[in-house]
Amino acid sequence: MNRHLPHTTALALLGALACNPAPGPTGDDGTPSVALLTSGPVSDAGWHAGAYEGLQLIGNLLGFRISHQQTRTPAEFDEAFISYAEAGYGLIFGHGFEYQDAASRAAKQYPDVTFVISSGSRPSANVVPLIFHLNEATYLAGMAAAAVSQSGVLGMVGGVEIPSAKGTFVAFEAGVRAVNPDATVLETFIGNWDDVSAAKEAAAAQLRQGADVLIHNVDAASFGFFQAVREVREGGREAWAFGMNRNQNDVAPDVIVGSAVIDIPAMFLRTARAWEAGTLSDEVLYSGIAAGAVDFVPNPAQDGVIPDDVLAAIDRARDEIVAGALVVPRIEFVEGL
Amino acid sequence: MTDLAALSSFVVAAVGLAVPLGLAALGETVSQRSGVINIGLEGSVIWGALGGALGALAVGPYWGLATGVLAGGLAALVFAGFAVRLGTDQIITGTAVTIGSLGFTGAVFQSRFGATGLALELQTVPAWEVPLLSRIPLLGPAFFDQAVTAYLAYAMVPLLGWFLFRTRWGLALRAAGESPEAAHAAGVPVVRTRMLAAVFGGAMAGLAGAHLSLVHTGTFAENMSAGKGFIAIAVVVLGRWRPWGVFAAALFFGGAEALQFTLQALDADLPYPLFLALPYVLSLAALAGWFGRSRAPEGLALPWPR
Repeated sequence: MNRHLPHTTALALLGALACNPAPGPTGDDGTPSVALLTSGPVSDAGWHAGAYEGLQLIGNLLGFRISHQQTRTPAEFDEAFISYAEAGYGLIFGHGFEYQDAASRAAKQYPDVTFVISSGSRPSANVVPLIFHLNEATYLAGMAAAAVSQSGVLGMVGGVEIPSAKGTFVAFEAGVRAVNPDATVLETFIGNWDDVSAAKEAAAAQLRQGADVLIHNVDAASFGFFQAVREVREGGREAWAFGMNRNQNDVAPDVIVGSAVIDIPAMFLRTARAWEAGTLSDEVLYSGIAAGAVDFVPNPAQDGVIPDDVLAAIDRARDEIVAGALVVPRIEFVEGL
Repeated sequence: MTDLAALSSFVVAAVGLAVPLGLAALGETVSQRSGVINIGLEGSVIWGALGGALGALAVGPYWGLATGVLAGGLAALVFAGFAVRLGTDQIITGTAVTIGSLGFTGAVFQSRFGATGLALELQTVPAWEVPLLSRIPLLGPAFFDQAVTAYLAYAMVPLLGWFLFRTRWGLALRAAGESPEAAHAAGVPVVRTRMLAAVFGGAMAGLAGAHLSLVHTGTFAENMSAGKGFIAIAVVVLGRWRPWGVFAAALFFGGAEALQFTLQALDADLPYPLFLALPYVLSLAALAGWFGRSRAPEGLALPWPR
C-alpha cells in the first residue's frame, strides 16, 4: 500500500493544481499587485465573468500585476487570501458575500493588505465592502416584466437565498407591483449557482405554473434557465426572460427582454485607482444607478417588446431613484448600521 | 392549473431529473459489485457533458452521446489505472480525479470558448414518443416520450440484473467484489475484471453527463455536473446494489428534487433546503439497515492484491 503513496500524492497534487493555479511571482519591481477570488467559474457570462473582466481591465489600463483563483469551499477562501497576502498582493477582491468571514480573519493578520468584498457585510480598517444596489435595476426590470407579461404570473429563479440575491428579488417584485398590483410572483431557489439542469427544471416548473416572464439570479446555471424559456417559446407559447448581474442581452438574445446590469469592471477599476492613490476609505462603498454602476438595459434585439409608455415610466422611475424621491426596497446586510 | 396537470408536470420533471442519476448509478452499481468504489464518478459525468458538447458541435448530437461515453470512460480508466492496477487508495484517487476533472474541463471549455463564457446552444437529441405506451395516463408522457438515453437506462435495468445474477461473468464480477482472494483462487482475473467494471461505470456516467448537455439542457457550463456523480453513489446505496432497487432509488431522488421545485413554484411556504436534504437522510437510513438487509460488497474499496 505504502509504495503506491507517491502515485496518489502526485494525482492529488495534479487535481489541486488544476483548480488552483498558484499566484504569480510578486512585484519585486514595485508593480502593484491585485488578486481576485471567485467562488464559481468566470465562464458564467454573469456575476463572476464581470469580476474577471474588471481584473483584466485593471491589468490592461493600470498595468498592475493581476491574478485570479477560483475557490470553492470556505477553507479554500482562507488559504487563498493568506497565500496572496504572503505573495505580496496589496489589493485582494473577494467577489461575493461568502468571502466576508475569511477576509475579516485574514485582514487582522495582514493589516497592510486591502480586502475588497463584493456584497460584504462588515467593514473594518482594511476590509471594504463593495455594495451594488442592483435592486434599483431589478425594480426597473420588474416594471418592464409586469408590462410584458400576458398572464400576470411572473417567476424568479435564484441560487442560494443570501441577502444580496434575495434583495434583488424583493425589488423585482416591488417593480412588478408598481405596474400590476394584482400580479402573482413565484420564487424558487435551487440551492446552488451552477446546476444548469436544476435551474432549467425550476424555470420549467414556474412556466408550467402559468408564469410567462422570468428573471434569474444564478451564475452559470442561467444557461439552463434561458433554455427552459426558449423551449416554451418553441412550443408556441409566448415567454420571456430577464438577464442579471451583467449585460446578458447577447447571451440569449432570442429570449431576453433586458438585463439588470452591474458595471462590475468599472467599479473594480475605480476601486483599484482609489487604492493606488491612497484614497480608498475604510467605509462601505455603495454604488447604484446614481453612481452609474447599475442600470436596467433593454435588449436592442427585442426592440418594441416593452411598450413605449412603460419605457417612459421606467425612465421617470430611474430619475426619481437618482433624485432620491423613490427608495427601492432592499435587504440591508451591512452590520452596524 | 388543475391538480392532475400539476401532478403530471411533477412526474415529467421527476423522470427527467432521475434519468442522468439512474444512468450513472447503474454503472456505479457494476463498479461497486466488482469491489471498486469510484468517487471519481463526478469527474466522469462532467467529462461526459463536455465530451458530448464538443462531439455534438463537431459531428452531431448522436455522435455527441458517443463521445460523452468515451470521455466518461477515459476518466474512469485514469481512476482505475491508479486505484485498481496500482492499488492506490480508492477514495483519495477518486477524489483527485473528480477535482482534477472539474478543473480540466473548465480549462478546456475556457480555452475553446473564451474565459468569460457564452451560452452554448447545442442541437439536442430529440425525444422519441413510444406509440401506445406514451398514452398511459400520467406515467406515459413522463416515461415514454423521452430521448434515447432514457430508454437505454430502462433497458439497462433488466440487462444488468440478468448479467450480474444469471451469468458466469456476473458471478465472477461479484466474486471479485465479495472476496477477491477466493475469486483469484478460482481463476477469476480480479484486476482485469475490476478495471473493466470501473471503466463501464465511467462510461455510463459519461452518458449521464452527455444527457445533461445534449438532452436536458442543450448547453454546457462549468461544474454543470453539480454533484450528480456523488448523488449517484448515494443512489447505489439506497438501491442496495441491485439494478431494480437502484433504478427505483434514482426515481426517488429525481422525485424529491422535482418536488421541491414544484412546491416552491406553488408558493408552499416551506424552507427549500429541507427537500434537498430528504433523499440523503433516507440514504443514511438505508445504510443503517432500516429497509431490510443491506450490505455493501465485502471487498469494496479494498485493493487487490493486498
